[in-house]
Amino acid sequence: MTTPRVTADTAVRVADRLRPVEPPWDVYGERIVTHEVHFGPRGVELVRGPLVLEGYGVRLLRPKEGKTAIGFNASTDTSDSGVAEVLAGAQSVARYSEFPAKDVQLPSGAGAGSPAPAVVDPHLWDNAPLALAQWTGALFAAFERSPDASVSFGSVKSRRVEATLSNSAGLSTGYAHTEVELEVAIKSAGGPEGAPAGEYWVTSFARRLEPERLPELAEQWSRFARDARHARPPPTGDLNVVLPPNVLEAILPQALSFKLSGRGRLRELSPAPGAEVASEGVDLFDDGTLPWAIGSSPVDDEGIPQRRRALIESGKSSELLYDTLYANALGGVTSGNGLRAGLDLTGRERFARIPGPACTTVSIPAGSGGSDRELIEAAGDGIWIQQIGWPSPDPITSGFGGEIRIGYRIRNGKLAEPVRGGTVGGLVLGPPGAPSLLANISVVGSSPVLTGGVSVPPLLVRGLTVAGEDVPGATASA
Amino acid sequence: MADLRDHEVELRRVLQRVGAHAAFAEVMAQASQGESANIDSKSRRATTSPHIAGAIIRAWAGARWVEASSSSFDAKSLAAVADGLERDLRAARSSDPPPGESSTTVGESVARPARPMREMGLESEMERARDYFRWSMDVPGIKNVQAWVAWWDDERFYLNTAGARCYYVSGRVRANIAAIAVENGRTEFDYDSSGAIGGQEILEQMTEERARTLAQETVALLHAKSPPTGAMSVLLDGGTTGTFAHESFGHGTEADQFVRDRSYLKPILGQVVGPESLTIADDGSIPGAWGSIPFDDEGHRSGKTLMIDHGRFVGALHDRDSARALHAKATGNTRRSDFQSRAYVRMTNTYVEAGDWSFDELVQEAGDGVLLEHWTSGMEDPLGGQMQIKVRRGRRIEHGKLTDLVSSMALSGTVLRFLKDIRGVGNDNKFRMDSGFCGKGHGDYLPVGDGGPYLLSRAVVGPA
Repeated sequence: MTTPRVTADTAVRVADRLRPVEPPWDVYGERIVTHEVHFGPRGVELVRGPLVLEGYGVRLLRPKEGKTAIGFNASTDTSDSGVAEVLAGAQSVARYSEFPAKDVQLPSGAGAGSPAPAVVDPHLWDNAPLALAQWTGALFAAFERSPDASVSFGSVKSRRVEATLSNSAGLSTGYAHTEVELEVAIKSAGGPEGAPAGEYWVTSFARRLEPERLPELAEQWSRFARDARHARPPPTGDLNVVLPPNVLEAILPQALSFKLSGRGRLRELSPAPGAEVASEGVDLFDDGTLPWAIGSSPVDDEGIPQRRRALIESGKSSELLYDTLYANALGGVTSGNGLRAGLDLTGRERFARIPGPACTTVSIPAGSGGSDRELIEAAGDGIWIQQIGWPSPDPITSGFGGEIRIGYRIRNGKLAEPVRGGTVGGLVLGPPGAPSLLANISVVGSSPVLTGGVSVPPLLVRGLTVAGEDVPGATASA
Repeated sequence: MADLRDHEVELRRVLQRVGAHAAFAEVMAQASQGESANIDSKSRRATTSPHIAGAIIRAWAGARWVEASSSSFDAKSLAAVADGLERDLRAARSSDPPPGESSTTVGESVARPARPMREMGLESEMERARDYFRWSMDVPGIKNVQAWVAWWDDERFYLNTAGARCYYVSGRVRANIAAIAVENGRTEFDYDSSGAIGGQEILEQMTEERARTLAQETVALLHAKSPPTGAMSVLLDGGTTGTFAHESFGHGTEADQFVRDRSYLKPILGQVVGPESLTIADDGSIPGAWGSIPFDDEGHRSGKTLMIDHGRFVGALHDRDSARALHAKATGNTRRSDFQSRAYVRMTNTYVEAGDWSFDELVQEAGDGVLLEHWTSGMEDPLGGQMQIKVRRGRRIEHGKLTDLVSSMALSGTVLRFLKDIRGVGNDNKFRMDSGFCGKGHGDYLPVGDGGPYLLSRAVVGPA
């Protein structure tokens, strides 16, 4: 299938009515068609869709005493009166807004960038209800042969999005993309040992459904649910910890979108350029061009072509993430990271949000650590954290922490018994010389995996603080 | 604000069309309107909430629910929704009636605060945010302050084929301050907020004294020690106790998970699970509380549900499906985030009732451990019975006395064990209902209230 043509013209229709308005302004429009299937242990519980949402957001940038006043308003009403109401709302809020940018220029055209990344699942685009029904069938089929694990709860949601962008500088562009949101709870129960039931809970954001992967995934998920039944809490202490890609996905984008962006720099909460923020030799990129990544797109939400940016080179802070306004305020140029999504890219209606700098996909290239087994050997003694509960790093301090949902003790360079309970946490990115997740990376695995907002290999991090069931130990290092 | 009742004719028309092919159908129209004023040391920003409104139609297809929505009330868009649902309903193989009891409630509730936020205006809202900013920013050692004022009116209109007709408008108001302090490369922040249903009076709860205290406590965090790690006595402040109630017997008793056999609590309904002094309830009818709703999104009136009554696990939160499956009554806890989101069993205001221990007695009883203050988030494990709560700050407790200030922590533990280990419930009858947002699974966030007194138990603590 070729890339589908965008037929929605939401932004263009609104922009036509805004031509008399003083520049600069832009309009971001979306037509979103959502389908969902929700299921429980006995099969499908609820089928939803089409859930149709068409809307747009208008942004006005007005000079104000050497600064810029930002006006923004959004609506689903594309009638003449609806657009007039939105415009009046944006003009009203601009009177009370102020941002330290001056003479802001919006892009006049989507310039030559990398070829557009693959972001449309053709099966979802053509017939989402059928694709979701087939995927759900494949999910339940994958567990039919499992003696002690089954699906207990979940949903698969698809969004077919036509995004359009127009501005006062003449830019008019648009692209189609699909999004998949998956939630599956796997329960392991029964058996002669009488252990309580165990669960492995999966959530993910992606561009496409991959039903062919379900048999392999079902086997993995079942094992984690099974092992959760007899897992014990971990020991307490500063331990060697292996963090796989799905755990890093929940930690890195949210922290780095603030700390390594214009947001943090403007508020003097970012590391200085060239500061040592990660272990020597660690490279970390933001890459908006990766095929099938949820953060990829031909252009950012201000119309700047996507590219790859080096945020950390050989352990030192390098480029920062900028949108048009933050770049202007800090004397730089936009890096194409003007996104209308949350810091973790889970925003549902981008048209209703104002752009701001954020990560697209956090990427760490393959290191020399080898396979998972070699990484475990290198850890010697420690823990493989398979899943932690909502580590939710706070962007300002970059502190993160969460309960270990399932993991494995590493003993003598080999995976040993499962662990569950207790917490693991620390800083993602600390001041130079202080311990942190990035500064304590000792081995980088050799097989990056794309999952949600990251494309990273597993990392061996030395000295992360783990709190388990032991008698209280020494206070963790600051 | 447009009145959704103006669309009643169109909504009834589509309900009638869909209802002709189903044993039951319902429609929920929803709209919101609001503003916010944000300020920090580098920028000021005012916003008005998006003008997003629409309707969702749900029908029983004999063996499962089907639903579709539109963000437009025009006849063509609503007809397209009906077309799709009719196709699904014709394909249904069963004409069995829907589970549970269909609401026949007829009622209206339009909040009319003495000083509604819609009359305040953005200029005054920005001025109020500027006050919050200045009060905290003036404290020596503060690097930056983010202060904001936000409000929105949530309007919902529910109709079903059994005759229910429910309409309400609720206005939620929130004042927030986050203070940031930096010294020698160390960054700390803390927050304070007030949120409730009402009008401009809620903004006055955030006083200069509160703002300054927050800032002073944030600066003090720069010299806080790292938290102790491991299993120990934990004393939760009121907000953290509320988060415990929410994560443990709140999510744990959302009975849709009982029906799926996905709750560790289902087999122990009726048993004693905690001390006599422990009572946990959910109440969506508390006037002015952040999570209150006059009617739920199945047309049931909200009310109080006891989950733990003096230590005994006595009840759960139900929608019509779970009520039918478990021989109970719907409790008025079926909620949608908005017109695009599905209806789930959800909490409203969840809290622990006051006990009879003074704060000093609790600290002394703790012996050695940690006091946890200023919750930031929580998470539950409905099948495994684990929970996680994160806080910004606390104090060590040594030999029955409060000692060193410690910075952010995560608490983790098994709920049933935590309950058994409860050694005291505080006697603070003046606890406030905190305002927060709760998701189900990975999304569907909606406003909920949590509260409680100080509570002493035992859990694992680590850095966060």
